[in-house]
Amino acid sequence: MNFLRSAAREVIGLFVSDWVQTVVILAIVAAGWLAISVLHITPLAVLIALVLVLAAQHIWFALAEARRTSRPRSPSPSQS
Amino acid sequence: MYQQLFTFGAAFLGSAVESTEALTIVLAVGLTRGWRSPLYGTVAALVALAVLVVLFGQLIVERVPESILKLVIGTLLLLFGLRWLHKAVLRSAGVVAMHDEDHAYQQTVSELQSATARHDWVGFVIAFKGVFLEGLEVVFIVVAVGGTSRFLPYAVAGGLLAMAAVAAAGLVVRKPLARVPENTLKYAVGIVLTAIGTFWAAEGMGARWPLDFVSIFFLVVAYLVASQLAVMLVRRRPVLA
Repeated sequence: MNFLRSAAREVIGLFVSDWVQTVVILAIVAAGWLAISVLHITPLAVLIALVLVLAAQHIWFALAEARRTSRPRSPSPSQS
Repeated sequence: MYQQLFTFGAAFLGSAVESTEALTIVLAVGLTRGWRSPLYGTVAALVALAVLVVLFGQLIVERVPESILKLVIGTLLLLFGLRWLHKAVLRSAGVVAMHDEDHAYQQTVSELQSATARHDWVGFVIAFKGVFLEGLEVVFIVVAVGGTSRFLPYAVAGGLLAMAAVAAAGLVVRKPLARVPENTLKYAVGIVLTAIGTFWAAEGMGARWPLDFVSIFFLVVAYLVASQLAVMLVRRRPVLA
C-alpha cells in the first residue's frame, strides 16, 4: 500500500512541483487553444505570445521560489 | 531523418539522467547486501516498465486522435520539462543544492546498514522501488517523445540504449556515476522537453509552426535565453537577513 501511494505521488510529481505554477501553465495552454481554435486569431501571433508568456512565467516562478527560500521562517505558535 | 534523430537523442538523454539515479540505488543495495536480491528487484521493475511502455505506447499511437494526442501529451511534456528546468535554474543559481550521486549513494547505504537485521527481501524491494519509480520518468519521456511524433521505436531505442550504457558503466566502475554531469544534463533535457512540449501543444491547438520541425530549435534557444535570464535574476535578488 505504501508502495502504491509513493508510486502515485511519484506520477503526480512528474508534472507538478508547485500547484499554482501548474494551474498557470494549464491556463496559458487553454488560452492558446481558445485563441486559435475558437477565436481563430492569427496562429503566428498566438504562437509568439504563447512562448513569451511561458518563458515569462518560468522566470517569475523561479524568482518567487528563490525569494521564498531565502526568507527567514517566522516561528510557529507551537515553537514560540 | 532529422526528426527521427532528434526523437532518439531526446529519449536517450532524458533516460540516461534517470537511469543514473536508478543505478545509484541498485549499486548501494548490491554492494551493501549482496547482488542476488537487488538484481531480481531490478529485473522485476524493468519487466513492469516494459509492460507499461508496450501497453500505453500502443494504446496512445493507435487509439487517440492525433490533435488530442498532441495537445494532451504536449501539455504534459511542457509541465514535465518546465519542472526540470525550474529545478535546474534554482540549482544553477545556488538556491537549491546540486544533485549529488555520491551523497544519494551514502544515504541509501546508511539506511540499508540500519536494516541489516531484516530479511533479504529488503534488498529486492528497495531495488525494485528505485528502478520502477525512476523508470516511470523514463517511460513517460519515451512514450511522450516517441508516441506523439509517431517515432515510438526510435524513442524506445534511445531509452533502452541509455539504460544499457548506464548499466554497463555501472558494471565497470562499481560505484556511483558521480562524474556524469547530471545537473547539466537535466538542464539541457529540461529545455529540450519544454521546447518539444510547446511544439506539440501548439500543433494540438491547430496551429502550424513556420519551418515545421525546425521551429523546435528556435524554441530551444528561446527557453535557453529565458532560463539564463532567470538564473541571472535569481542570483541578483536581494537576500533578506
